[in-house]
Amino acid sequence: MTEPSASLPEHLFRHVAGRLVATLTRVVGPARLDLAEEVVQEALVKAVEAWPYQGVPENPAGWLYAVARHRALDRLRREAVLRRKVAALGPLVAEHAPGRPGEHDDQLAMIFLCCHPALSQAGRMALTLKAVGGFGVDEIAAALLTRPAAIAQQLVRAKRRIRARALRFELPAAADLSERLESVLEVLYLLFTEGYQAHQGERLTRAALCEEAVRLGRLLLESPATRRPAVHALLALMLLQSSRLPARTDAAGDVLRLDEQDRSRWSRGAIQEGFEHLERAATGDRVTAYHVEAAIAACHAATVDGGATDWTRVLALYDELLVIKPSPVVALNRALALAMVEGPRAGIRTLGPLTRHRALRGYHLLPAALGALWQRAGDEARAARCYRTAERQAASEPTRRFLAAQAARLRPASRSGRPRGAAGRARPRGPVSRPPAS
Amino acid sequence: MGKFLILSRGNALTPGMSPAEMQRIIQKYRDWTEGVARAGRLLGGEKLRADEGRVVRGRQGRPVITDGPYTESKEIVGGFWLIEAASYDEVLGMMKDHPGLEGPGALEVRQIDELGRRD
Repeated sequence: MTEPSASLPEHLFRHVAGRLVATLTRVVGPARLDLAEEVVQEALVKAVEAWPYQGVPENPAGWLYAVARHRALDRLRREAVLRRKVAALGPLVAEHAPGRPGEHDDQLAMIFLCCHPALSQAGRMALTLKAVGGFGVDEIAAALLTRPAAIAQQLVRAKRRIRARALRFELPAAADLSERLESVLEVLYLLFTEGYQAHQGERLTRAALCEEAVRLGRLLLESPATRRPAVHALLALMLLQSSRLPARTDAAGDVLRLDEQDRSRWSRGAIQEGFEHLERAATGDRVTAYHVEAAIAACHAATVDGGATDWTRVLALYDELLVIKPSPVVALNRALALAMVEGPRAGIRTLGPLTRHRALRGYHLLPAALGALWQRAGDEARAARCYRTAERQAASEPTRRFLAAQAARLRPASRSGRPRGAAGRARPRGPVSRPPAS
Repeated sequence: MGKFLILSRGNALTPGMSPAEMQRIIQKYRDWTEGVARAGRLLGGEKLRADEGRVVRGRQGRPVITDGPYTESKEIVGGFWLIEAASYDEVLGMMKDHPGLEGPGALEVRQIDELGRRD
């Protein structure tokens, strides 16, 4: 009904909120991050109160900046300690609009503050989404599959830590930059991974998580200080993985395996951009886990035109990844690649010891992988048992449905009418859908 | 063609909304007003200041002023639109997808009496 011109830019409020909070935090100091957030919230509320009647102003972002500045001045004048900072609001005023010089630096400083190693990992993720991404507490909780109260508490703790440790609002000095950047990349990686796992109900929110991680990765690349090969590698990884997002679920929201996906729905734009960043990532002298994971993602993305996955190369890359990042999840994915090269029983043999690994206890992808491999090996009874175990452990509804469907295919009763469901069919299967560690 | 005033009562925001939620609300209002405007029926709209107002009464010929707004907060008028329509029925039709109906408040429609000003 409405013409596109009548729409506000996508995510305008979220992004303006993030930019304004950063700018105001520079003025009032990171210890008063709360104040910056309140002021911005007030400005947004003013817009919701006025725009329905007055119409959306010609320059919505500029309007919000002007109102936020006004509110900030008001608050600053009321607090004696902050009064001397009134002059510092000048730059915000100059243009009354986004795109002010220095704004990008403010955003970077904000990202580094939110991802400071002094904060807990959960606190870093929540604060980055809140203060940089402009997400609400409920949205963060939905995206991270936790309760709003838990997120609120993480945020309080993180801000308290910022004050207690007198963390600074700045681009880290050259000596610290690498370490600090690593912490930032870790947060982006976690946010992306969290969003990439297909979970029903809040699918949109979770896609927004991936989108936000990609946006922040791009933001880092805009600055010479943070334009590092590892950032290119992480962005390549995220883009190549997210290229499959449109194809990862079917119309009913059910999870599809790599080999079941309609590749014409993979985003070619994301794949191409991912390959470009992968190329630029190769300029460094250090191979990070992001490099290797991006290279693995590239192997999958390379099949967009219907070619076969080069599993030998994928396996070799997993061997390399296991050295850099010796985690049981990586080992799990390596076993799946091994099964593609040497057959299902080789994969099952490798997965065996992992089932006793504490870190993988309750991790549904392990029994799911075993189920797929037993199925390929022709042992339907074992496969069905594995799928049922996985089903019980799965965190999300579509994943549960996916696993239930896998198990059901193995039962004779389910043979009627399932187009791809012939039990125990011997054609090679791709690994089950999984986090980007694959 | 008559003029109608649509008053939005008691539709204050619930606190703690996220930026994205707020943008969604604005987008809904924008869609509605754009629709009315494209039909050439929107004459204007204004938000009223929520935090102040005066009520003036005459007492034995002298004005007595009290601070307003005069009503309970759930009945405060947040703002209004002025539109053109042939009849109440037409206005009500236009209001079917009005986003103000999703809130806790109410919309009140009054026709402007143009008695004597029109043929």
